[in-house]
Parts: sequence; C-alpha cells; structure tokens
Amino acid sequence: MNKKHNLFPYIRRIAFSNSLDTCITLFILLAVFLLSTITIKWLLFGADWAVVIQNYPLYAFGLFPADQRWRPALWLLLLISLTIITLVGPRWRWLRKLLPITWIGVIPLGIVLLSGGLGLLPVASRYWGGVTLTIFLTTCSSLLAFPLGIILAIGRQSDLPLIKFFSSIYIEALRAVPLIAILFFGQLLIPLFFPIGVEINRVIRAVLAFTLFVSAYVAEDIRGGFQSIPKSQEEAAKALGLSKLQITQFVILPQALIIALPALTNQAIGLLQNTSLMAILGLVELLGISRSILANPLFIGRYMEVYVWLAGIYWLICTVMALLASHLEQKVTIEKLTIKN
Amino acid sequence: MTSVIRTRKLVKTFSKGLRALDEISMEVKKKEVLVVMGPSGSGKSTLIRTFNGLETFDSGELEIVGIPLHSDHNERNVREIRKRVGMVFQQFNLFPHLSILENITLAPIKVQKQNRIEAEEHAMSLLSQMGIITQARKYPSQLSGGEQQRVAIARALALKPELLLFDEPTSALDPERVGEVLDAIRSLAEKGMTMVVVTHEVGFAKEVADKVLFMDSGKVIETSTPEVFFTNAKHERSRKFLNQIGE
Repeated sequence: MNKKHNLFPYIRRIAFSNSLDTCITLFILLAVFLLSTITIKWLLFGADWAVVIQNYPLYAFGLFPADQRWRPALWLLLLISLTIITLVGPRWRWLRKLLPITWIGVIPLGIVLLSGGLGLLPVASRYWGGVTLTIFLTTCSSLLAFPLGIILAIGRQSDLPLIKFFSSIYIEALRAVPLIAILFFGQLLIPLFFPIGVEINRVIRAVLAFTLFVSAYVAEDIRGGFQSIPKSQEEAAKALGLSKLQITQFVILPQALIIALPALTNQAIGLLQNTSLMAILGLVELLGISRSILANPLFIGRYMEVYVWLAGIYWLICTVMALLASHLEQKVTIEKLTIKN
Repeated sequence: MTSVIRTRKLVKTFSKGLRALDEISMEVKKKEVLVVMGPSGSGKSTLIRTFNGLETFDSGELEIVGIPLHSDHNERNVREIRKRVGMVFQQFNLFPHLSILENITLAPIKVQKQNRIEAEEHAMSLLSQMGIITQARKYPSQLSGGEQQRVAIARALALKPELLLFDEPTSALDPERVGEVLDAIRSLAEKGMTMVVVTHEVGFAKEVADKVLFMDSGKVIETSTPEVFFTNAKHERSRKFLNQIGE
C-alpha cells in the first residue's frame, strides 16, 4: 500500500465502511481518549511519587547496608557487561572459549559479593533484596537449570533403561507439581534433610527450588529440539566414525539448542516473573521490598504508585530480556537450519 | 588383488518375512568401481548401508577392508570400519550448523585427533579438488545442491578412506547439477579409489564401472561388466529393467 496516496481511503475502508463500523470506531476512540486522559492526569497530578523517589536504593538493593551497596552494583554491572560481550560475539577464539567458564563463575562471584567473606563484610541473606535479588534468583537458577535440563533431555533419550526411566520420572514429576509447592518445599523441607546446625541460606534454597522446577521444562524444550532433527543427521555423523557421545555433543545438541532457543528464552523471562512468588515466602526481592515499603506508615495507602512503578520495572527488564533474546536468535539462526536442495 | 568388500550369503529379513537381502554373495576388489542398479525396493540401498554398519543383517558373513562384521554388529568393529570407509548420501546430510570447512574437519579432528591446522589444510585441498574452494566459510544452506554434494564427497574423503560408498548421489539434484557431481566421482575413479555406487545414471555406469551388479527383490540377479550388462544382459529380469529405464 502506498501510504501517502491511499491513507484516507484506507482508513475509511477499515474503520468507517458502514454506519455500524463508524459507531464502533467512534466508541473505541472515545474510550481510549477518556482512559488515557484519566491515566495521564493521575500519573502527572494525582499520584504522589515520593514513595518511589525516596526509596530508589531499596528497590535496587533491598536492605543491603548502604556502605556496601557497591557490591551488588558491581555484580550487576559485571553481569550486564558479560551479557553484552556474549551477544556481540567476540572474534577471538580464546575469548569465546573463556566465556562459558566466566558464565559459570557468575554464580560464586555473586554469592561472594553478596554474602561477604574473603575480606568483605559479611551480609546475611535477609538483607539481600530488590532488583538485585530478583536478578540474582533469575540468573543463578537459569544458569544451573540449563545444563541440568540438557542432561535430563539427553537422559530421556538414553538407550540405558534405568537412566531413561529416572530422567522421565523426574521431568514428569516436576511438571506435575505447581511451582509454589516446590518453593514451599525448598523453604520448609530442604532444611530437614540437613543435619542440625548446618543452615543453608534461604536465597540459595530458593535458587535450588527454582532450578529443580525450571530444569524439567528446559529438558522438555530441548527434547522438542532433539525430535525435530532428522535421523539422517545422526546417520551422517555415524558414517564418519563419530562416537555416540561425539554425535550428541557436536551434531545433535547444537542443532537442538538452536531450535529450542526461542522456547528457552521464554523460560528465562517466565522465571524472572516467577521469582516474585518468593515475596509470599518472605524474601524481599522486587515485589517483597515493595510490600515492605508499603508497610511503612510514611507511605501508607500508596498502592497505586508502587504497583504501577513495579509493573514498569518488570516490563522494562522483561522487554530488555526479550530484545536480547531475539538478537541472539537472529545471530545464531542466520538461515543455517533451513536446508534447500 | 586383495578384496575390499566380501560378503557370503548375507541375509536381512524385515518383520513381515520380506527379505531385503536374500543370500547376497559378492566381492569388490581394490581399485574397483562397482555400480549397483535395480528397481526401487530391490535392496540396493540396504546392501550398501550394511557395508558401513548403518544397517544390521541377520545371517551370513561380511568383511569390509579386512575387518569381519557379524550379525551381532560388534560396536568396536563397526566404528573401525566407519573410520576407514566414507559414505555419500542421497540428501547430502551436511551439518547445517557448521560451516563447510567445519563440516569437513569435524571427523578428522574428533575421530582421528588431527590438529586443526593440519585438518584445515587437508580440507582446503579437498575443496579445491572439488572445485569449490571459495565456499569454505559459507554454510550448507548457502550452497546449491550440486555444491553441497561435492562438499559431502570432500567430507567423506577427509578421513582418507579405503572405500567410498555412494547411495544414489545424484537422485536429489536438479538435472543440470548432476554432471558436476558425476565428474567429481569419475575423477576419484581415475585416481584409483575403490567405490560402490548405487545409481540410475546409465551413461556414468557405462563409462566408469568395472562391474555392474543388478539386484531385484533382495537378490543379486547378475554381475557383469558394463559392456555385457548394457548390450547383452544375461538375465531376462535385467533386460526388462533396462527397457523400463529406456536403454
């Protein structure tokens, strides 16, 4: 359609073609106008944003001691840089080889920076919070669930009946239980399995619970990838004398991961949103800290402001994740997997 | 001359009692080019796929490049055979996520533990031999069918095989691309590569084959030189087949 010449006839055709269409169009326009004026009016004049403006550090870092806030900030900064470096995809082979190790290092580094030790002031896990904790839960659980999911997916395809059986049982069991139940399990039951005196940090317990849950879904996504790879790929690899392990590692798995990538990034975004469930279990991640702020007598009744602000932050983080994911998809796919004859 | 393939009374039965291979006894000697022909469903693909262990068989004897393979399909022997026997498929079966160069060097690096530089040099020389050296950094989906099949041949050659198997290498190609692939196979024959080629290309068979093996319903009907087979086939069944394909 040539926009300049045909815009008016086009609008008339889609919106005002008969009297009923015209009525509906006018009604919708009116509704949109009223809603947006009310919203904008509230945003600019009705709302009292003090509850947001005065609490930026809380939203970002939770109750982390003020003089130690550089630690979570540093971790977030490193995480963002690492993400960018990974997405840009460095040309040098040595750096590309280093990347996976660095990603594995993100978890212990985060734990050390947050909890202290090694010369840093110890900070108990109940002081971890805000966006930092949300990102920490998401990142650590994703990074742990990804390899576990791959192992489970391979296990489910295994020729060894016992491995196949246990992988299937695990995947089916975890998919059959609601996430919140697993999170309760993580908070209340995991401590019972450890001897008295050994106490595992509540955040780590949450990470473990999320990992157990998400890995089952990751495994299923990757299995979908496995199944869409034609048998002829495996035959070609066999004919070259590759071993079973090598076939999986170099031929089947890379292709399965490329195919599963959209589903996997979806899992990551879903996981980020699901971390808000931890607010119910007493962690002060982004949602939890907001509820604490609302409990402050100074800001009583400022629900609208806080929840609109929260929605904005979640939207922003998720949108950034989705954009990064689609960038990654374009980068890896580049029509590689469409074979023409 | 030593034999590269030897089979004795090879039998493979499908579930309904149908015999895909019915007491196949045959031999391919070193530097020989054997062309296998036959109507579809005659078992020629099954036969060629037993030669590198992609298909199992129920009874009989099979010896490939001096390694015996029995109906128990000993995993170690099968892998040893695959390291020394190359195969080219009808649908090319290149790895779409790897570049052309990576497709060719994967097995030399991972199976034969060659170092990368050495493997890449060899791969480049194979690509230039196949006339597609400029495509080394591209991905399979960016190449034409004929080019992909030549990459597949280069990939099979990368392990310096003693025997090459071709399973209808030109059947999936556009007609104008068939020639370039046949030329590549022909030049290998001239260099003395031992090959088994399943094909319907009569002109190619006449020119390149040392022997033509004709199969029908899982049986070897006749094995003749191309001169005899295409002008004066011994069996009624062979003559009928040649008639049908217009020779």
